[in-house]
Amino acid sequence: MNEFSSVAGARAVNRRNSIWRKVLRKFLADRTGVAGLAAVLVYFVAALGVWCGWWGTDWADLGGSKWEAVSAAHWFGTNIIGQDIFSRAIYATSTAFEVGVVVAVLATIIGGVLGAFAGFFAGSWIDELLLWAMNVLDAIPFYLFVAAVAYSLAGSPYAMHVAMITSFWIGTGRLVRGEVIKLRNMEYIEAAYAIGLSRFMIIFRHILPNTSHILLVQASIAFVSAIKAEVILSFLGIGIRDGMSWGLMIEESTKEVLAGFYNNFIAASLLMFGLVMAFNALSDALQDAMDPRKVA
Amino acid sequence: MNAADAPAPLLRVKDLTVEFRTMDGIVRAVDAVSFDIWPNETVGLVGESGCGKTVTGLSLLRLIPSPPGQIINGSIELEGLDLLSLDAGDMEKRRGSEIAMIFQEPMTSLNPVFTIGSQITEVLRRHRQLSQRQARELAASLLAKVSIPDAGRRLDDYPHQLSGGMRQRVMIAMALSCNPKLLVADEPTTALDVTTQAQVLDQMRELQNEFRMAVLLVTHDLGVVAETCQRALVMYCGSIVEAGKTEQLFSSPRHPYTAGLLASIPRIRAERIAELPVIPGRVPDPGNLPAGCRFAGRCSHVQSRCHQERPTLRSVNGNAVACHYPLGADI
Repeated sequence: MNEFSSVAGARAVNRRNSIWRKVLRKFLADRTGVAGLAAVLVYFVAALGVWCGWWGTDWADLGGSKWEAVSAAHWFGTNIIGQDIFSRAIYATSTAFEVGVVVAVLATIIGGVLGAFAGFFAGSWIDELLLWAMNVLDAIPFYLFVAAVAYSLAGSPYAMHVAMITSFWIGTGRLVRGEVIKLRNMEYIEAAYAIGLSRFMIIFRHILPNTSHILLVQASIAFVSAIKAEVILSFLGIGIRDGMSWGLMIEESTKEVLAGFYNNFIAASLLMFGLVMAFNALSDALQDAMDPRKVA
Repeated sequence: MNAADAPAPLLRVKDLTVEFRTMDGIVRAVDAVSFDIWPNETVGLVGESGCGKTVTGLSLLRLIPSPPGQIINGSIELEGLDLLSLDAGDMEKRRGSEIAMIFQEPMTSLNPVFTIGSQITEVLRRHRQLSQRQARELAASLLAKVSIPDAGRRLDDYPHQLSGGMRQRVMIAMALSCNPKLLVADEPTTALDVTTQAQVLDQMRELQNEFRMAVLLVTHDLGVVAETCQRALVMYCGSIVEAGKTEQLFSSPRHPYTAGLLASIPRIRAERIAELPVIPGRVPDPGNLPAGCRFAGRCSHVQSRCHQERPTLRSVNGNAVACHYPLGADI
């Protein structure tokens, strides 16, 4: 009993000095990173409000007249048919977040797992097959691929997600594969065999966690790329169909800027720029703070 | 020799043969090696780099990287059960619980992203049905057993926070955690400095007696063997050339290779000598071995028969020797 309480006590002491404390301390010291986090949180709250139906519900309503200027009623003015640009921009934030998160999470999981299998079985038919798949998918131009997927999925709202995930996992997969080829020869992997773990357990318990620095970076790159791609695809008319997106706003504005009305264009561009910048700053800072080789 | 203390050996290796497919053809790394280990015994497996001693050790756990390696012949019986006949799942259950292994490089043998506590409890939870809490308590007591101060707190340390000696102790704690019957220790002290080496070896000896397990100590360090092993096996070019009780082997080696190895150790008390004796020549290319005795090309006692006929192990005054003309034997 006494022995156990000393163990528990020691655990409490150690928690204060745990690796996560160090990460947090290091992260908080990085001002750009903290500013990035704050901005990303603001965007996130905006998106969350849309998902919960707190605001942005009137994005499709014709609440004003054509091209109203900035006012208390319409913070960013109104568009060509009198819809509130602020509501539309906020609603588009939730679209961007949703696409970014879904694509980043799924592409990273798929890339991590398939890359780990390819690397672990490097030289075998599993690796050959996965590399072949990566090369084939890589050879297709991205926008053609999205158009093809959108067409084959008959206008499904998730065609864009599918296309992005199918192309974004490849980069992660290649990087993880290379790292795993290095890791699988480490002595602790041999030691893991020697304590009786199966290959499957070794891949998931011992190898994948050692690629977390790659996965984190790749996930943040995928998040930003997905948001940018969503905007471009929506602008081209093969992205978001039922809903609102910064890309659709910019597409709308092509009819407006010629007439000298810039509100739609500026709102969408600035919001996208802000989120991408903030997220890049955040992921840079996280990377520095969490790199296991620097934390020590 | 030890057959009197125990009715049957714990481990019986017979005609173990391991081959590797390489670019230059098939290389036989271990060639028909046979030996027994009795319970609670420490056996040293010595030889120079590339003689097959590590491959022999890995074979006992069936950890030969395959491809390119393959055990092509022989049997490895642990308490009468042939490990080579088990399927992969059964073998996994026995690794870590019945046969454990510790490796040469303590710096890289622990996973850098997990605490040592989680790595020790992983073994415990894998082989014994323990709750997280029980496993943690047991892990702390194991660390205390290998003399890690403040063991409870150390559980939450990451490998990089420990010194080499401490990491090797953690590896030993992990290896012992499920009370294995046999511990294969592959150069456990080579990467440690001399004072740490002695401590770790002492520790292993104490724990061996406490847990009553047998140890196969794979090493090139004859000093370590002399200090810790009851019996020793000397390997050369994939086969055992001499085996016997350590004292006898060291005091009166029968095989010219063993004698050469012993002569090449510098001695503190011996009179000054101009040059340390060395074994001339080089280990033959394992892909292109001579037909007769593999040591013939380097042996100072070589005779024509040695080049034609390969000697097999036979008993000479208590030692088993694979030599046609063993030293000091009255033939």
